[in-house]
Amino acid sequence: MARLDPLIHAPARLQVVTTLSAVSEAEFLTLRTALDVSDSVLSKHISALADAGYVRSRKSVRAGRRTTWIALTPAGRQALREHVAALRELIADVD
Amino acid sequence: MLSNMESMAMAQNPDDPRQAIAAADLASHRLATGLRLPRGFHPALAVAVALQIATAAYGIAAQTLTGLAVALAGVAVFLGVAAIALHRFRQVNGVRVDGLTSQVVMGTGPLVTGVYVCAFGAATWAAFESQWWLVVAAAATGGAGYAMGARQWWRAYQQDPTAHADGVSPRMLALLAALACVGLVVLLVNG
Repeated sequence: MARLDPLIHAPARLQVVTTLSAVSEAEFLTLRTALDVSDSVLSKHISALADAGYVRSRKSVRAGRRTTWIALTPAGRQALREHVAALRELIADVD
Repeated sequence: MLSNMESMAMAQNPDDPRQAIAAADLASHRLATGLRLPRGFHPALAVAVALQIATAAYGIAAQTLTGLAVALAGVAVFLGVAAIALHRFRQVNGVRVDGLTSQVVMGTGPLVTGVYVCAFGAATWAAFESQWWLVVAAAATGGAGYAMGARQWWRAYQQDPTAHADGVSPRMLALLAALACVGLVVLLVNG
């Protein structure tokens, strides 16, 4: 049976991870716009996910300004898959 | 004032799995459906592939150094167009999608592969027969099919982004390109 992952259980954190799973890599600004969240909130989520090895980030320069690119790691994708599977099992149990 | 995500997060009960999955899916779909292909993406890809097929067919049929140079020039033009298109996609959207890279550069997918192989075969046969109008027709069909395959993939990606986002990474692509160059050198040396 799949297990719920406490790190991505919070809805906001789950949205960050799921949104990242839709692309291979996203700019911080793009992610912030897509999730409609403030810089500080997104930074906190990214830091927590990076500490767990679920995402990785790299700095880059675009049109003369520094940008940060964020990507889900294989461990992050696996964690998302298992967490979603656990959620679906819960739904199936309720139904 | 709280942003959408912050207020949604507060309103959602983390113990309601249905709500959690729905909100997460909505967020990823919002990103995917907001992505745009650069202007002229499909026509440029179609022309580049058609040119690559036609030049390769000519090069194979000619079996001369000039023919090889023409074929390589066709490959270079195709790779150049693909690289510019993908770079512009990243610039416009602020994301990288390896599935798109695979689709554009490698032509993965049954429709693209099938049309490309048939068009390439027909163009090469026509070049050996010096039926140049047929070379052009086969190359144009191949280019159009390739672009149609890319369009089909794009629609599928926007419907289910997570299932289609994966593909060959830029690092793997560089490795494959290096291997292709080595293979070409080996062919030239042995030839």
